[in-house]
Amino acid sequence: MSDAMVEARAVHKSYGGVEVLKGVDLTVVRGEVTCLIGPSGSGKSTLLRCINHLEKHDTGELRVDGELVGYELRAGKLYERNDKQICAERSRIGMVFQRFNLFQHLTVLENITIGQIKVKGVAPEAARAKARELLDRVGLYDKERHYPSQISGGQQQRVAIARALAMEPKLMLFDEPTSALDPELVGEVLDVMRDLARSGMTMIVVTHEMNFAKEVANTVYFLDGGVIEESGNPREVLTSPKTERLQSFLSKVL
Amino acid sequence: MTTNGDAFQVVPVRHVGRWIGAGFVTLLVAMLIHTLFSKLPSGQYACRLVSGVRTCRPISVWRFSWTIVGQYFTTSEILHGLVTTLELTVLAMFVGIVLGMTIAVMRLSPNRILSSTAWTYTWFFRGTPVLVQLLVWYNIAILYPVLSIGVPFTHLTLVHFTTNTVFSAFVAALIALGLNEAAYMSEIARAGLIAVDEGQTEAASSLGMTRRQALRYVVMPQAMRVIIPPTGNEVISMLKTTSLVSVVGVVDLLGAASNIYSANFEQMPLLIVASIWYLIVTTVLSTGQFYLERHFAKGALRSPPPTPLQRLRRDVAGILSKFRSRRGKLEVVR
Repeated sequence: MSDAMVEARAVHKSYGGVEVLKGVDLTVVRGEVTCLIGPSGSGKSTLLRCINHLEKHDTGELRVDGELVGYELRAGKLYERNDKQICAERSRIGMVFQRFNLFQHLTVLENITIGQIKVKGVAPEAARAKARELLDRVGLYDKERHYPSQISGGQQQRVAIARALAMEPKLMLFDEPTSALDPELVGEVLDVMRDLARSGMTMIVVTHEMNFAKEVANTVYFLDGGVIEESGNPREVLTSPKTERLQSFLSKVL
Repeated sequence: MTTNGDAFQVVPVRHVGRWIGAGFVTLLVAMLIHTLFSKLPSGQYACRLVSGVRTCRPISVWRFSWTIVGQYFTTSEILHGLVTTLELTVLAMFVGIVLGMTIAVMRLSPNRILSSTAWTYTWFFRGTPVLVQLLVWYNIAILYPVLSIGVPFTHLTLVHFTTNTVFSAFVAALIALGLNEAAYMSEIARAGLIAVDEGQTEAASSLGMTRRQALRYVVMPQAMRVIIPPTGNEVISMLKTTSLVSVVGVVDLLGAASNIYSANFEQMPLLIVASIWYLIVTTVLSTGQFYLERHFAKGALRSPPPTPLQRLRRDVAGILSKFRSRRGKLEVVR
């Protein structure tokens, strides 16, 4: 087993005629936290969505846990995986969205159990027990009967993290998890993520929270215009940027 | 509001225009109610011979013939017609909803053949009047005298029967109403499916759900909130549209009423009988719709609206508590 959880080599992705990713190379080491930063439209979210195959990359090689994303290599040919195989792949990759995307018609507890029950075939009682355990972990054990519309944005995002964790993922993707939150609610979500990082979860976080990146990330990638401009140790990259683009980006966000 | 500790009396705004309007409407309603329960001269006279003198006075009858209405309201013919109407409504709506949902899902499919077939279906069945469709299905044996299932472009047949044995007037009516309804229901269902945020599907996929699972456990239940209210309207509308089937000889509620009045010439009383029954069923359906909507609003509203019963209880409790507190105050004064 190699120690790379995600490996991207020359990944390209276009929408219509617009090239969003222009050959991205990236390595995410198992058990480490990787932050993707960059201006909006730089391709951070697209890269994240390619990793769990919500978007299909056009060319290049993208591997998660040693397996090609969306394809299978057999006898020198790439076979496109069918829906079922792709779903099985995805169920082991947790994703947290900018706008939470909790299931509005289900209670907090049901949000966390539905994936376990319907996708993994866990017994409802066991699923509920696990959900309560996770709710306790994100500090929301008293909210299980609430509907998403009845709790705050920060609480919703913590439930969303618990929902993803319930699938026992090997990799967690965060797509700007705090961007839709009121400033005073950002902290509680970052605390949960910090805690998760400490527990050894492999995480890729698209974020504008530079302090979080500096403090928690092992590696930071700066994307601009669909290419990786700079990468490395966050303290070095973020405090003494080499490229002019990163310098001007940091001067705007900090 | 108080100034220097003195309480002022609050004088509400007087809405003179509203009062005049309300008075005028009340007058019109009173006039209408009066005509409902007024009498007309029947043209006949009741005469008596009192000590050799014949005195006659005109006999007047209820304008709306309420006695005849009452007489026919629960006759078995009318009740049988009502049952047929209800059967047609339920079955046609069932066909409409199931087929409509299927067409809506087809319409949203990435497969072009599926989506364009769905579009064409809706285009055709919405584009022709339901009465015409009813007549076409009733006369379908002219086009297809024999129905058989086999392999296209060969002479192999598996099942075979004559059309008229299967297509009774009732079946023709059911198919016509059901297929027509499916076209409308598919648009309603499609609107509901589109109304659910795309993020919900993405979140479902990120948990590893298949397209079908995401649709069933995540999208459909939320689409229901948008789909239910117009579907309730469709049911009520269908209840009334079934009255068209009397044209092809199905004895529904209206058919039963018209059968009776063509024999006794009491058109108005029997039309009133039918109308009252339609109103009763519609009222029951609307009540059901309210509770269904409330059920599917789960999670969308912070607190669901109170049921009429809850509202009544709350109002009564409110009045009682006012009463109690007033009494309590009096005791304090004493």
